[in-house]
Amino acid sequence: MIKTSRRATLGLALGAMAQPALAQSGIELVVHYPMPAFFKDVMEKVATEFMEANPGIRVRYPAPSPNYEDGVQTVLRQAVAGGLPDVSFQGLNRLRALTERRLPVDLSPWLARDGGADARGWSAPVRGLGHFGGIQAGLAFAASNPVVYYNLNLVRRAGGDPDKLPTSWDDLLALSGRIAALGEGTSGMHFRWGGDDWMFSALLYGYGGRMLTEDEKDVAFGGPEGLAAIRLVDRMVKEGSMQPLTVDAALQSFYAGKLGIFAGTTAYIASMLRSIGPSVELRTAKMPVINAARGRLPTGGNAAVMLTRDTARQEAAWKFIAFATGPRGQTIMTQGTGYVPSNTIAPTEERYLGGFYRENPLFRPAMEQLPISQPWYAFPGTNGVRVTEAIVNNLARVVEQRATPEVALADMAQDVKRLLPR
Amino acid sequence: MSEARTTPALRWALGEAAAGWLLAAPAATALFLLLLGPSLALIALSFTDWELGAPGLRWIGLDNYAELLDDRTFLTALRNTLVYVGVVMPISIALGLGIALLVEGGTRLRAAFRAIYFLPVVSLLVAMATAWQYLLHPTIGPVNRLLGMLGIAPINWLGSSDWVMTSLCAIGVWENIGYVVVLFMAGLTAIPSELHAAAEVDGARSPWARFRLVTWPLLGPTTLFVVTIIAIRCLRVFDTVAALTRGGPNNASEVLLHVMYKEGFSYFRIGYSAAITAVFLAVVLALMLLQNRLLDRRVHYA
Repeated sequence: MIKTSRRATLGLALGAMAQPALAQSGIELVVHYPMPAFFKDVMEKVATEFMEANPGIRVRYPAPSPNYEDGVQTVLRQAVAGGLPDVSFQGLNRLRALTERRLPVDLSPWLARDGGADARGWSAPVRGLGHFGGIQAGLAFAASNPVVYYNLNLVRRAGGDPDKLPTSWDDLLALSGRIAALGEGTSGMHFRWGGDDWMFSALLYGYGGRMLTEDEKDVAFGGPEGLAAIRLVDRMVKEGSMQPLTVDAALQSFYAGKLGIFAGTTAYIASMLRSIGPSVELRTAKMPVINAARGRLPTGGNAAVMLTRDTARQEAAWKFIAFATGPRGQTIMTQGTGYVPSNTIAPTEERYLGGFYRENPLFRPAMEQLPISQPWYAFPGTNGVRVTEAIVNNLARVVEQRATPEVALADMAQDVKRLLPR
Repeated sequence: MSEARTTPALRWALGEAAAGWLLAAPAATALFLLLLGPSLALIALSFTDWELGAPGLRWIGLDNYAELLDDRTFLTALRNTLVYVGVVMPISIALGLGIALLVEGGTRLRAAFRAIYFLPVVSLLVAMATAWQYLLHPTIGPVNRLLGMLGIAPINWLGSSDWVMTSLCAIGVWENIGYVVVLFMAGLTAIPSELHAAAEVDGARSPWARFRLVTWPLLGPTTLFVVTIIAIRCLRVFDTVAALTRGGPNNASEVLLHVMYKEGFSYFRIGYSAAITAVFLAVVLALMLLQNRLLDRRVHYA
């Protein structure tokens, strides 16, 4: 117990008066981030550890945005109306839109310091994820690629071998068809085609295709790779008995143990572990390989973007970005989500994530797929979100079996071409 | 001179006018600042190509409106919205009136029924949408399980473009019916019971005849109010779409306000979004004018 004396009370009052002065000498850094369902706990922990290491800087998080689209809108609105945060975490496919509006501060000068970026774990591929319009617009914080989630209980009941999960789409679709045939309201698979173009690009890249031509003037997915990709979606419905579910409905089915296979981002791991019921035995696996030589996968995730123009605040902002994307920040992020670290030091060193990957096999497939990952394609011009919408809408027609793959692909190419800058 | 020519009567009239303006000024200012001003700004914006975050804007005349006529998504949304109003409004008013008559005709538990029917109105629709999502889930949802017991194959309520508008309309009826019930119950209590007794004496023996001759005409003002309010509530359908379907699959459940939101705040095309809002305002105004012309003449204000 502290004894209340006149001197102590006086000291307390003096201390309270000194407090604001102390706070004034420090800096309050405003940091905005998206998708609180994935990142809230992680961000709180990063801020706590960062403030312990940097007593002069206080981190404040305003309300997070529910998704990347809302996140970029918020920042664009604030750029007009005022109130921009000092640092914002933005979807890797939205950085280009920000750069075209000249909002991000080029991080190259800071990266060149302290022995260079490579020595501190920000390798060239990591830097490439945040490089747009000739500047380092952002530094990747969380990276992801698509993986396949299995409910082993349903796999076993359908006669599958949990230790020999499908490595080709033929096997996966056959297994899915068998799970759907179990009855009692079970469904075989869900491939997360809705929401955005990310999972479609996973198939397109898998065949070695690309979204647009080199000069970005015309669509390139209208060719044989795109057709093969969209035909595969058609086969998921025909052979794998995939129903046209919304993403939320599919996840609810999976949690309830009624869906056998879910293909989507590795970022779901932590939330899956929190949400699955007792009838689900979870296992993750790499995406089936389509073209072993040319096949690639898209990288999802987000990057820290510096927005403040004030030089004193920029120093503090850089310290925060360097901590969050450094080995310690990446260790917190990986353990709390399911994303892959975007710092090369974190996964290799024992004191960071070395042991974690040995003990948590669920997190491994995404890590093993890193070598074949390439950036999530960001469409040029101001119609990026509409392009995404056009792709998803035409996929919906195939999933609902209202259009043949050939017709849907032709319409998709035409719709997207109309939205490209001329 | 001029002062000499102003008669006392004129001065008095001017003074009264000035006082009137002065008294109306606070309300008029608020009306202008909060409603008329923004509406004018919106209409002005709809003639520009302004994008959120863009440094400048250009006057493009009627281009936005011309694009609307060609925009499949917008036309689907307009059609869906009108279908929604055309289905949800009559059903919820008819059912609501029926329930109000039954509850009012009964002798017990009136307050309890009123509270039960009003529950959906006071509950937060976005939270309720999550409950609906579970109820209508194609494989684990209770609705499909119930149908399964009757031997009906499961229906993909929110994921199939054939069913999604039906599901949204059903949720719309559920959401509005309580409101209608409460409004009609208030209207019914205002009808003096002597009128019913008198009608019975005069030969209106059947309850239907009494409803047609006494209740329905006297409910006129209430009905006009209910039709207006429910029409506006249906026109601005947004939260169920945003929470449950996001306009999908393939725009099958797209509605006006959701397209407006998407164009403005996902695609950043504020000018185009303003044009959609202008169309929305025009539809609301047209509907209100039509109702007042058609119904106001027949309404019998007691």
